Amino acid sequence: MNKMKPLKLLDIARKTGVVTIRYPNKPPLITSEFRGRIVIDASKCIGCGACVNICPSNALTIKETYDKRIINYFIGRCIYCGSCADVCPVKAITITKDFELATDNIRDLNNRVVHYKAVCCRCGSERHAPENMIKFVIRRVPVAETYAHMATNCKKRKFVEGMLHGRGMLYVEAK
Amino acid sequence: MVEGCSMLKPSNMLKKSIWVFHLNTGGCNACDIEILDVLTPYFDVERFGIKLVASPRHADLVLLTGPITRKTLPKVIRTLRAVPRPRLILAIGACAVGGGIWHDSYGVIGGIEALKKVLEEQGVVIDKLVYVPGCPARPEAIIYGVAVLLGIAKPKVKETEVEVIVK
Repeated sequence: MNKMKPLKLLDIARKTGVVTIRYPNKPPLITSEFRGRIVIDASKCIGCGACVNICPSNALTIKETYDKRIINYFIGRCIYCGSCADVCPVKAITITKDFELATDNIRDLNNRVVHYKAVCCRCGSERHAPENMIKFVIRRVPVAETYAHMATNCKKRKFVEGMLHGRGMLYVEAK
Repeated sequence: MVEGCSMLKPSNMLKKSIWVFHLNTGGCNACDIEILDVLTPYFDVERFGIKLVASPRHADLVLLTGPITRKTLPKVIRTLRAVPRPRLILAIGACAVGGGIWHDSYGVIGGIEALKKVLEEQGVVIDKLVYVPGCPARPEAIIYGVAVLLGIAKPKVKETEVEVIVK
């Protein structure tokens, strides 16, 4: 009986056929639910940082400098949860089906979007938010354009000055 | 260089079969399941000559998964020291590449980049290192990573920096 075993195996193998997928020659099986790397559309992005807040693994990070706001997407730490695409208010983030991301240089895994901040319309030097974000806010909320363009410190200063002026405590020189 | 390094040149690629050693350094086992998946007849990497071996002394390539916890760090160094030159490493998964979701936690050293510094201090040289991102990395992505390591395929991802134009 034992001598017949290999022949039985041959019979089973003939019925099953070849199961191996020919990966490099044929495209792999990618279902509609599969999530790969994300792509940030820089023409839509407003630099609000909602994706950075939600990102569970800090793959998306934000870096603030005096005149720039840089959103960095490091693929190496991404867990492909897709939360960033859900929270993006302008739908700038799309989930692609890319998974062939192997590289020998870790710098290749960084994707940056650089936003330039708008200049404050009151003091002319301070910068607080990207221009596109201010425009997005003006579109959504009924707020004056000058007020939206004002830097945070300038808003505070304006409020305090207005209050003091109303109480007659601020002396403004007549020009 | 040590004999066998010529394997890294694209002209001499696949002259030698790659024997792999599977090294988990404290990951969640998802990447390990994908590695086992690669070794099954469904993906059948033995058609490329890739074979799993039980000892690092027999291995050409170390499949490293996990964020390298403090507990596993001495064992990882010992294992990598046992691998003969050329010492090739495939860092698989988000944990190994960038430290993963707990990259800044006290219990992990934070991925292969932190390990590279430790190995430099210990005098263990890594000849080639390829990063395979994914959480977990797909079996196809791991095969592609080996192809990048051998110089058969070129990396598709590129570093990008886009400046936003004000509308």
